[in-house]
Amino acid sequence: MNNILVVENLKKKFQISGGLFEKKEFVNAVMDVSFHIKEGETFSLVGESGCGKSTTGRLITRLVDVTEGKIVVNGKDVAQAKNSELTHLRESVQMIFQDPYASLNPRMKVKDLIAEPLVIHTKLSKEERDKLVYEMLEIVGLNAEHANRYAHEFSGGQRQRIGIARALITKPKLIIADEPVSALDVSIQSQILNLLKKLQKEFNLSYLFISHDLSVVEYISHRVGVMYLGTIVEQGDKEAIFKNPLHPYTKALLSSVPIADPTMRKEKMVLKGDIPNPKNPPSGCTFHTRCPLATDICKQQIPKMKQINDKQQVACHLVNEN
Amino acid sequence: MSQTVLEINQLETSFTRDKQKIKILRGVNFSVNKGEVVGLVGESGSGKSLTSLSIMQLFHDTTGKIDKGTIKFNDQELTKMTESQMRKLRGKQISMIFQEPMTSLNPVLKIGRQLMESIRLHLNYDKEQSRKHAIEMLKKVGIGRAEELMDEYPHQLSGGMRQRVMIAMAMSCNPSLLIADEPTTALDVTIQAQILELMKGLKQDHETAILLITHDLGVVAEMCDRVVVMYAGEVVEEADVFELFANPKHPYTSGLIRSVPKIGENKEELDSIKGQVPSPSNMPTGCKFAPRCEKAMAICNEAAPPMLNINQNSKCSCWLYEKKDVTVHNE
Amino acid sequence: MSTTVIDSKKAQQPAAQYSPLKEFWRNYKKKKVALIASVFIFLLIVIAFIGPYIAPYDPYEPNYDAILEGPSAAHFAGTDEYGRDIFSRLLVGTKISLTVSFSAVFLGLIAGTILGLISGYFGGRVDKVIMRCCDVFFSFPDLLLAIAIVAILGPGINNVIIAVMIFSVPSFARLVRGATLSAKENVYVEAAKSMGASHTRIIFKHIFPETISELIIFVTMRVGTAILAASGLSFLGLGASPETPEWGVMLSSGRDYLGTASHVVLMPGIAIFLTVLAFNLIGDGLRDVLDPKIKNS
Repeated sequence: MNNILVVENLKKKFQISGGLFEKKEFVNAVMDVSFHIKEGETFSLVGESGCGKSTTGRLITRLVDVTEGKIVVNGKDVAQAKNSELTHLRESVQMIFQDPYASLNPRMKVKDLIAEPLVIHTKLSKEERDKLVYEMLEIVGLNAEHANRYAHEFSGGQRQRIGIARALITKPKLIIADEPVSALDVSIQSQILNLLKKLQKEFNLSYLFISHDLSVVEYISHRVGVMYLGTIVEQGDKEAIFKNPLHPYTKALLSSVPIADPTMRKEKMVLKGDIPNPKNPPSGCTFHTRCPLATDICKQQIPKMKQINDKQQVACHLVNEN
Repeated sequence: MSQTVLEINQLETSFTRDKQKIKILRGVNFSVNKGEVVGLVGESGSGKSLTSLSIMQLFHDTTGKIDKGTIKFNDQELTKMTESQMRKLRGKQISMIFQEPMTSLNPVLKIGRQLMESIRLHLNYDKEQSRKHAIEMLKKVGIGRAEELMDEYPHQLSGGMRQRVMIAMAMSCNPSLLIADEPTTALDVTIQAQILELMKGLKQDHETAILLITHDLGVVAEMCDRVVVMYAGEVVEEADVFELFANPKHPYTSGLIRSVPKIGENKEELDSIKGQVPSPSNMPTGCKFAPRCEKAMAICNEAAPPMLNINQNSKCSCWLYEKKDVTVHNE
Repeated sequence: MSTTVIDSKKAQQPAAQYSPLKEFWRNYKKKKVALIASVFIFLLIVIAFIGPYIAPYDPYEPNYDAILEGPSAAHFAGTDEYGRDIFSRLLVGTKISLTVSFSAVFLGLIAGTILGLISGYFGGRVDKVIMRCCDVFFSFPDLLLAIAIVAILGPGINNVIIAVMIFSVPSFARLVRGATLSAKENVYVEAAKSMGASHTRIIFKHIFPETISELIIFVTMRVGTAILAASGLSFLGLGASPETPEWGVMLSSGRDYLGTASHVVLMPGIAIFLTVLAFNLIGDGLRDVLDPKIKNS
């Protein structure tokens, strides 16, 4: 299978202060992130707030500028793409946003919202666009009467369907979904997750799925990358990561998730302390301040990503291939 | 039989918008016993948060109003109390923690001052005593540098720390009921685990009754002894937590449980409940869940089902259980 | 929350279609004072068009038999120092006053909006340059600036329009810039960007509509100010030539007779006063209905 997306050593530095009389300060939001997504595959980035997962997604669509590294979409490096190249990138990579209330322009009708990418990227006539819009409405489980209404007349789940229809209308190969279900109620969340899975099969889509919710990630992904403070600490096949987590952070994260079954209550591996401020990350392995197993080397050296077995890569000094 | 701390009977609460009364709670019944954690579960629009605000009678400047029903708290009737009586109760005997602690902490006052204020108000301690008590409380909620923290402002703390401070404040007068409204929803998973652990510990030490309001079935399974499931302003099911998850009675409850992905389950497709929650101004007659229910029968669209005692561990309001050997629950 | 939820299966009957314009009218109808003011302005606009045809006398023709006569059945508003009918002059002058103020505000609106959108959307150095220029203009009192501009360009109605326009531009630019800055934060703007929308499309399709309601409010208020400024310039002899029936000119030429025939000053004064008041009342009404900050409280 072909790689739809390859990300290599991606870095992003944000300037957070530095006016006329201030010292310039930077935050390393993303530090050296590498991963790839194959055709028809879902790769999830999972992590807690401030881990850089959303920034990574926005770097790939170039909503923020790349500081360093490569982003290869369909065999072409777009990390520094400009103008028409950038427009082309944004036709083949579409986004689904977290908040279906905020990501749809309240002044536009549903059919105009969904047709917008067509207006931007194609020279189709109005009739041709409308035809595609009606088809798309059907595909995402809405019907034709909805086309002439405004987004605020819909519930959260329906709005997210509109957002999905808009993302799919240009027939992109890669969809970046940034927490697409976290603003929705549980019963609606499963509708949308099922829809995303169905669409993936139908159109052979690849997803970069960004989420903090491990149960959702396990359900939707083929492969997973766990992020902590701007780096991927562990990545690999979903089954391997969820059944046999190797990095201490992955272990703690999985153990922290409350499971909706009271018979499975268990002693948790509760991490001490807070997530460090990304402005001022710890030296060496960024996780060492909370890691129960940390040793001296963890404080000094940044661990390198190592292939541990054929399914998993881990960045930890204490995990070695056997 | 353990002592009942809170008993809510036929509670109806409404809002007024554009001179139109909109009924949100339509007859809510449940109780909370001493030392028990009761989960109040429901999706947005189910009325779970409004239930807690009704207990506290904290409608702020909204048009919320209790129309009917009783709220009995330790033999006192809350719906008949004046505002000043309620004020003495809040924070002392009933405390509340919210989803976003920043909204309930005053941003311009130091943590210590805010903590001491409620302690001095409710426990009649002098300044020295209340400071000591405040520091003790902060240590109890797992804050190592309690003394330093007393002189810091809320915005200097992380979300998890703020929630700890809120819990310290809520527990400082040793209340007999703690209402926690989505206390961990805004927090990261690893921090959520810390806070849940902390709440479990506090419950064991103080025998506080906890009413935990949440949409997260994982948190419910983890924390609660008993669960009350709400849908469209009504209680549809009430059961022991093990009973509820192993053997959910109401089609809504079972649909809800089945639609949550569980780690290690590896389902190909999730079950989901079709349609969405009806809006309060456009409620179906009969059972409110009937339009979304796969097992709906003719009677479901005509009349609202009564609350039925299924067995000693569970009650359910659904016509499916009417004809079976159960007695109608009268209250 | 005012969301109406549509059940995907049920509710097929097209319930009252939501329309922003209907919504606006439903709320605006409740503002009685603003409604009365709107009717007044509407009548003024009609008069501006038909004034010359319904005027009972020729506004330019002196009548030395009826100099400085008070209001009477023959002359509703009396006559001025050349015996011209003041009422006729007011009717004809409506067109001049409204044309001057409307066109000045309209030109200012266009220039200011474009500058504001550019400044707010692109930010950075462009923003700094535009805003510092505006600051320079803001540091002069409005009328003083207008006087200076007319002094440079020379007196005349057209130059009055240019002067009033120039001092309107910075206010519009600053207003639009502020609205743009907040509109830019909307997630749907980022969404449009991620879809590959061009800057022009984002600005005009997604950002500009967010500024319209604030602009409408401001324009109505500004028209009032412009009428005052134009009249002021004419009063000082920097605007319309002395024989034109412009309200400011009438005010100015009548001031010598303030003691003996006060109606010569009073009538154009009342016209200016009522018009400016009406525009401000409409502006207040629109603000109550359109301003999101007030609407939600």
